[in-house]
Amino acid sequence: MLIVEIVFTGLLMGSFYALMALGLTLVFGILKIVNFAHGEFFMIGAYAYTLLVVWAGLPQVPAMLSAVALGALAGVLMERLLMRPLYTGVIGPGALRDEYAIIVTFGLSLFLINLSHQVLGPYPVKGPDLVAVSRMELFGMFVSPHRLLASGLAVLTLALIVWLIRTTVWGKRVQAVAQNRFGAAIAGIDHARVSALVLALSGGIVALSGALLSPLFHAYPDVGAFPAVKSFVVVVLGGMGSIPGSILGGLLLGVLENFGAIYISYEYRDTFGFIILMLVLLLRPQGLFGERAREV
Amino acid sequence: MTRRLLLTLIALALGWPPAAGAQEPIKIGAPISMSPPGSVAQGKEVRDGLTLAQEILHKRGGVLGRKIEILYEDTQGIPEKGRAAVEKLITRDKVVAITGEHASSVTLADIEVAHRYNIPLVNTNAWSDAVRLKGYPQVFNRSNYNSRVAEAMGEVIAKMKVKHVVAFAENTDYGTGQAEAMKKVLARVAPDVKFTARVLDRAARDFTPAVLPLKAERPDMIVTIMIPPASYLLMNQLYENGIAPSKDTWLYDGAGVADYPDFWDNVKDAGVGLLSFGLYHPKMNLTPLGKEVRNLYIDQHKREPNRLIFQAADSLFLLADAITRAKSTEADAVIKALRETRFEGTQGLITFEKEKGLYFQQWKDIPYITYQLTARGQQLPETLLIQGPGVELSVDKLMRPAR
Repeated sequence: MLIVEIVFTGLLMGSFYALMALGLTLVFGILKIVNFAHGEFFMIGAYAYTLLVVWAGLPQVPAMLSAVALGALAGVLMERLLMRPLYTGVIGPGALRDEYAIIVTFGLSLFLINLSHQVLGPYPVKGPDLVAVSRMELFGMFVSPHRLLASGLAVLTLALIVWLIRTTVWGKRVQAVAQNRFGAAIAGIDHARVSALVLALSGGIVALSGALLSPLFHAYPDVGAFPAVKSFVVVVLGGMGSIPGSILGGLLLGVLENFGAIYISYEYRDTFGFIILMLVLLLRPQGLFGERAREV
Repeated sequence: MTRRLLLTLIALALGWPPAAGAQEPIKIGAPISMSPPGSVAQGKEVRDGLTLAQEILHKRGGVLGRKIEILYEDTQGIPEKGRAAVEKLITRDKVVAITGEHASSVTLADIEVAHRYNIPLVNTNAWSDAVRLKGYPQVFNRSNYNSRVAEAMGEVIAKMKVKHVVAFAENTDYGTGQAEAMKKVLARVAPDVKFTARVLDRAARDFTPAVLPLKAERPDMIVTIMIPPASYLLMNQLYENGIAPSKDTWLYDGAGVADYPDFWDNVKDAGVGLLSFGLYHPKMNLTPLGKEVRNLYIDQHKREPNRLIFQAADSLFLLADAITRAKSTEADAVIKALRETRFEGTQGLITFEKEKGLYFQQWKDIPYITYQLTARGQQLPETLLIQGPGVELSVDKLMRPAR
């Protein structure tokens, strides 16, 4: 029975990891930058959902959709104000771009954390559950109904994003820019708009995971540290920029962490993720589904 | 002549030369957490308490006729930052004393600097026994201490006749120190109790893997030695998994988080049935000074203060009292005066032990209480008092959850 619970709770957690990491992998896959403010989009979603319900009295579903919209808007603003100089020639070519991206996203992360401290205060606020009851019994196991429902929504969102990227015209444009920004531009694809779309999508997805997890992990200024670290592990594990990789990596990490924590030591739970990360980097640097080289 | 007179008048009008520094404020340094990863919530409570005490002192004409200026430095709950903050406060800002620190790990770093520069430091809320065991003559402890909590909880656990206790302690000097102290106390007062302590990362968010094995173990009691937000998350996850509080397993909080202003916003159903150690309850006796602090706090914040407000206010009052008796801000004189303290603080008469060891320069008889939360959203005045000043320990009153 314990094994079943370990796998079950691991998969639930893994679905959240996959959703958090999807936003990061999209940005990396298309823009080739690492977004260090990724966790703060999670924080924006967690706060937006929680405060819209608790303070503004909005029902849960519209509040969650508003949180997603706010995350997407934050993504667009980030693209317009901070990321566009990367590919419009304001920032010099070559290696400098990477440094610029690191510094600017890291700075944005610190700014958002401290801003929320000043505006919203230091106290954590528990997000409202999607289901009124705090726990229920399922096949002899106690589970949080919210956790169950949130995980289902996370899986649905993952499926929707994969479908969007694989089948729609906009998805194909995204794929084209991911493969070769210059080539896509020659083919008439506006890569700036595609980049804005990707950052909006990424912001919206991460904000959704923040909203879904706010009843479990609460909303507070530095709540983004946890999803950021997990997302980086998942993205490297699955392969930088690979969508199926980040989904599988998330689920795998959730289950492996659970097994390691219970059968080896809970104290080293986060270490398991990093051990997996190091092994992947040593044995298969491109990750489970990653591309072999960063640039063509 | 007229010109010289004019210059003199202008100089006097501009306040020069200063009147022998009589109006210069007395500078007190306060290293606290104002940003993560430290507990910003605790930092805010400490700051509120210090500000209240400062207001009260100013209303009474200040200290030695001078105002108190509190210089805050953000330690982020990181020992290295705490050390740098105290170094800066002492060497650059020329503070005459340090107080306000609320994290054990940071206090252990702070006291090294205060000791090196021979500057008095009043510990506001560092519970780790190690702070006292250092034996530094500059350090005085208004704060509660781990051994005190362990003794109080040990007494309750022994009386409840539970057999198997699992403690979850955060990975800090405070957390591991309290777990260790509890192990020693239980070995003495309840040797039949099987006690195991598990260390959790205070930055973690999902404690499910730590909680799941308890379904098989089914301990009689789970003790939490963690501060928010980690403690809130752990409590929720214990409840969601049907482990505690439950008809089989008690949940006992050793960090006193149930009186935090945001407790019920974050814990909800998981808090019902929680047994808690506490350092303040409205049914406890307060001194006239304590009542003044409480009333002023309620006026300003529209809610009951928690224990950190009293601890922080007392910390500043103790320094003000020592400076007044020493008639000086000179370090040796203030330290000597602190050593001889007999000050009626907010919660009772404060004196400091002189014998080296666990209680060195500690206010030993800090009043405490044990209570149980019996309904969701219950505020401190309505909680079930199990033990406290004037209330004999009675575990028969405890209410066990139905499921």
